[in-house]
Amino acid sequence: MNAIAQRSEDRVAAEIDAACRSIAPNWPLDRQIAMSPYWGRVSEPFKRALLRLNRQTGAAAAMPASYYAKAWESGTIQARHLSRAVQESGLSFSPDACVDALGSTSSDDTSLPLLSDCADAERDLRHEPAWREAITQQVSQHCAAYFDEDQADWHLRPRAGLYASWREALCHDHSIALLMHAPGVRLGARELPLDATQCIRWALNVLSIPPESLKELLQVVLLRINGWAAWCAYLRWEAELAGAADDHIVELLAIRLAWECLLDDGRRDGSSRWGNWRRQWSSRITKEVGAHLPITLLWQRAHEIAYQDHLFSQLTRESAKAPSSVGVTSPARAHVVFCIDVRSERFRRALEVVDSEIDTYGFAGFFGLPIQYTPIGTRASRPQLPGLLAPTLHVTDTTGSKDLDRRLRGRRLKQLSANRSLQPFQRLPSAAFMLVESLGLAYVGKLLRASFRRQAPNVESEGLGGRGVEQLRPDLVLPDSTTVAQRVDLATSILRAMSLTSGFARLLALVGHGSLSANNPHAAGLDCGACGGQTGAINARVLARIFNDPFVRQGLSQRGIVIPDTTVAIAALHNTTMDEVQVFDVADIPATHREDLERLRQSLRSAGTRTRAERATSLGLDAQRNDHSALRRSIARRARDWAQTRPEWGLVDNAAFIVAPRERTRGMDLQGRSFLHDYRWQDDTDGRVLDLIMTAPMIVAHWINMQYYASTVAPCYFGSGNKILHNVVGGRIGVFEGNSGDLRIGLPKQSVHDGWRWMHTPLRLSVVIAAPRVMIERVLQAHSPVRELLDHEWLYLYRWEGAGIERYLRGQWQPWAESSSPQSVAAA
Amino acid sequence: MSEAYWWWISSAIYFVGAGWAALTIPRPWYAVRVATSAGLILQACLSLAEVPLTPFPPGMPGPVTMVALLVGFLGWIIGRYSAQYLVGEPGQGRYAIALLTTLGAVNAVVVSADLGLLIASWVLSSFGLHHLLTFYADRPPAIVVAHKKFLASRLAEACLVAGAVLVYGEWGTLSLTSIAEHAQSLTSANARVTAAGVLLALGAILKSAQLPLHGWLIQVMEAPTPVSALLHAGIVNLGGFVMIRLAPLMNQIPAAQTLLVLAGSLTAVLAGLVMMTRISIKVRLAWSTCSQMGFMLMECGLGLYDLALLHLIAHSLYKAYAFLTAGEAVTEARQRALRAIDAATRDRGVARRVLSLPFAYGVALGSAWGWEHLLHTTPVPPIAPVLISAGLATLFWESGPSPVQLILRNALLVLALTQLYLTWHLVARSFLGPVLPVNVSMLLSVWVGLCFIGLYALQGILVSTPGSRLAQALYPWVYGGFYLDERFTRLTFRLWPAKLRSQKQKLTSSFTTMTFKGEEA
Repeated sequence: MNAIAQRSEDRVAAEIDAACRSIAPNWPLDRQIAMSPYWGRVSEPFKRALLRLNRQTGAAAAMPASYYAKAWESGTIQARHLSRAVQESGLSFSPDACVDALGSTSSDDTSLPLLSDCADAERDLRHEPAWREAITQQVSQHCAAYFDEDQADWHLRPRAGLYASWREALCHDHSIALLMHAPGVRLGARELPLDATQCIRWALNVLSIPPESLKELLQVVLLRINGWAAWCAYLRWEAELAGAADDHIVELLAIRLAWECLLDDGRRDGSSRWGNWRRQWSSRITKEVGAHLPITLLWQRAHEIAYQDHLFSQLTRESAKAPSSVGVTSPARAHVVFCIDVRSERFRRALEVVDSEIDTYGFAGFFGLPIQYTPIGTRASRPQLPGLLAPTLHVTDTTGSKDLDRRLRGRRLKQLSANRSLQPFQRLPSAAFMLVESLGLAYVGKLLRASFRRQAPNVESEGLGGRGVEQLRPDLVLPDSTTVAQRVDLATSILRAMSLTSGFARLLALVGHGSLSANNPHAAGLDCGACGGQTGAINARVLARIFNDPFVRQGLSQRGIVIPDTTVAIAALHNTTMDEVQVFDVADIPATHREDLERLRQSLRSAGTRTRAERATSLGLDAQRNDHSALRRSIARRARDWAQTRPEWGLVDNAAFIVAPRERTRGMDLQGRSFLHDYRWQDDTDGRVLDLIMTAPMIVAHWINMQYYASTVAPCYFGSGNKILHNVVGGRIGVFEGNSGDLRIGLPKQSVHDGWRWMHTPLRLSVVIAAPRVMIERVLQAHSPVRELLDHEWLYLYRWEGAGIERYLRGQWQPWAESSSPQSVAAA
Repeated sequence: MSEAYWWWISSAIYFVGAGWAALTIPRPWYAVRVATSAGLILQACLSLAEVPLTPFPPGMPGPVTMVALLVGFLGWIIGRYSAQYLVGEPGQGRYAIALLTTLGAVNAVVVSADLGLLIASWVLSSFGLHHLLTFYADRPPAIVVAHKKFLASRLAEACLVAGAVLVYGEWGTLSLTSIAEHAQSLTSANARVTAAGVLLALGAILKSAQLPLHGWLIQVMEAPTPVSALLHAGIVNLGGFVMIRLAPLMNQIPAAQTLLVLAGSLTAVLAGLVMMTRISIKVRLAWSTCSQMGFMLMECGLGLYDLALLHLIAHSLYKAYAFLTAGEAVTEARQRALRAIDAATRDRGVARRVLSLPFAYGVALGSAWGWEHLLHTTPVPPIAPVLISAGLATLFWESGPSPVQLILRNALLVLALTQLYLTWHLVARSFLGPVLPVNVSMLLSVWVGLCFIGLYALQGILVSTPGSRLAQALYPWVYGGFYLDERFTRLTFRLWPAKLRSQKQKLTSSFTTMTFKGEEA
């Protein structure tokens, strides 16, 4: 008997954990990086996971039928793509049947209900607010008060955890009891167990949840407060990266589940609230998820096939033309390394066209530096690396002279504290009246300046002064004994990972990227995701400094990587909104290389002009396409405009990740849709570099890809809604859409839709790698999560095989033949 | 006489602009840009030319000129902003029409020389605003809020109309000039005039979102950001404006003034405390408006119409800016993080925080004395130094690496800001015309003084010792907004519910903001 009880206890614990792990983290606004909202569900195949989510929340798994119908009419999706998709799913019907089926999709709401929904069904919602919204509101407001650190001036000081403080608050609440006219809630709250896990077990008991419904129920409950769950998942993610644990999400689950019990009137007869709920629940849960695939998912696959057909014909047709003598034509004058970001593809293509003596490389924009950066004289540390990793190195600013550093730090501290001393006057209620009556009229000037903004203010350099900014360089903080050795280690592994170990050009430019926008809470999302939602400037500058260090070069040469004295590394930043490149620390560049630098800058400017012209249409500036200076002015105005909700298109339309030497893709118009990572398998003797690429950049690209996918197909659930209504919560935690409600995650609709059409085409990522089968297989064997991701079709993996392309699928390699017309497929 | 009509041309421009926008859907923004620019230019010219508004006594046009110019300026800024901000949204035409209509109506309220016309324009502006607030009509919260506002506005209008009827019954006129003349010749208000004054004050209080009917103002974040800016900067303060316009009358009715002071000061303090606890930027700004409107009405009640006028204009500009740049909240949080210091090294600073109040009071009192006796300006009201010190003393709350230097620097700042305040006070004074005798009971001034010293002390306790029992006990009440709005919401649901769709539709409809239609045909 005890053993059975113990087993069920364990099972409940396991299911609680599974439900909490099914929620993907969402990073705060000031370090927003893309994350697949499905990340907690990749242990299920793509289709089934999305259909399960659909049943749990109502969130769509694919675009609406009308979207695919339009793609069909415009010829984007053709019969051959459909037949191939049909064939792949092991079905047998004609493309015509697919088209017919598209016209007759029904959108019945079959999402799983909760007891509280049945409580709503009993209410006269014309005369009373609904429980569903009221509960979300109550939980969300409590979470906000609990987690906020940066907005309020007077905080909830919880003496206990999230759940205990919520319970305490509800015991003394007058708000919801009054609004919902439910005085019983307060009494009910007093009956709740004191501990979160106890509460979950108790609630499952009270609601007599059968074991087979346990898993689904816990997930449905947590998804009802999805935004805050994603925040808690972020806290857990960060804690686990740092080797700690965080259980806020379990407490959140307990809170939301407790609400179900609070609305339970205790009756258990057939016509009771509980009885109604149980009936609805059972009728919906009995259907196997994925037993009937909606036709739209088939069309989704066909859409992907159409893209892949196009991409692969490009990759095979044109790469055949590429010179076979790889990279030994004439030595390049400059090597320019960009982030793998899809926005770099356009710029690199343009740069190579305007200056054929430049070679470009693609590498993760944090340049392999696992750093955390603290601006001098402050405590505002921030990670500058992908969300997958924990920082292991520390960077701060230095002038190189300890004395000068101390002086600058002292001056800044003084200036910052002077500015800080104004904050109470700007924020406290008794001061607000005086602020208005003494300084309010000056806001005429502020309004005018904001309306006609010339330059975005630079917050970062507050208290440094122009000279200070000029003198300071970010640098690693290392103990003196390890400083050279560690730098050499870093430089070696980074150069190897870049596939750049010989044939150095006179200039080695490391180009990070960042965006420019005003009044934009989601600005960090447009910056470099590999740098933790910051610009890549710090990383590029630190690495250039390492590469230029003579001691490091000496150490490198001992390891067989000889950087000649004629090579100078420089750091730069690609402004993706403006398509302009700013070079840093020009004063440090030796006179011998000034001419090279000037020429590079000239080429970068011309490349920018070309790139802007290419982007003009998507920015609605088609009319200025051919007038370079007018176009530049318009784009600059856009970047500074405080009312602009679409400063740039970010990573919109991303669809492929190509891991190959640039010669394979050079000269191809990949339309800014491909992540490009340089990789030369011949140099990767032990396969470590490929291992790294497939476990880090590839995963990050998948996250980005799925974030865009989810924000497009299910914007109300996995997107953050309308920017026009956004209301920043806790200074950085996230946004509400409007007044309140749940915290919103994902991309705003303005990031994927231009008001008339979707700018993002939701397609799963197609990864194409130039490497032998065995090397790829070795990585997949070593990393079962990566293999699982591929087997479950969350992304596609391909490689070049001779002049063709082949696909990896569940341990097999299948050659890709361009989709042919349906007749021949049928014949085959 | 005829020049007065010039001022109506602005309203006409906005209304014509609205018609033009209606004809040019789906591209209404050209009409908005032209109309708001023309409105601003006209207002600026009229102000510069100081067109005499002949029906008013000399000097009275001041507030009208200033506030009309303010409306023109805000209309222009918000129009420009909206044109870009709403790109790609369905219903832009609807928005443009409602925006221009509202602006025209607000301008009409400002330039009306007749109480009846003024109230009628006010009603029109309220309806225009209703359309802006329900821009996303498929969002149930937007409907509930707009409905609450609808009820509060109708209640306010009922008070105003009743007040106007009583005034007409007494003096047989609704002309603001005549009312002022009659009022000034009054030795003491009779019951009918008193009732009229109290009703008019009540109307202004309700229109200014004072506690406990403030909920609609707080929750309008369900409408686009520029609508919030317009409401908070250009509409909610009309209550204060009308009190200033009716100053000669209100000044004669102690009951009405007491009402304004009590409602205003309580709202200023309580809403200010609630503001401290808000966790989202726009809701914080909304509570701030609520509190500021309370302060403005309190100033009216104290007979400090010059300060109220200054407050009205300055607050509008400040709040418009704050709303339109609400997206910078993240940047501001980063900025504060940059300035943050280790909590352990931060001193409690209780003594400094206590002593800074009398110090600031001394500076304010000395400055006031100096202006009055050395520069021979009009006297500064005795309550002003209290209000000044409760505000400026907060400049000494934070310390830093070189505390003495910081204190000296901020002491200079206190001195400078006090002079700035006194300067603006005089400027506003000069716009207002002849000084009305202040006949407010001393008791009210004492009450106000205690309120703000109490607020200063309380916020000091909350910031210095957030873990104290007092702070802990108060927090749930303040975070819950004293549970005032729930009562009102509940009441509206019971008495006159908003027309929500059924639950089933509602669930799906919260998704419809995400289905993208093209521009309405």
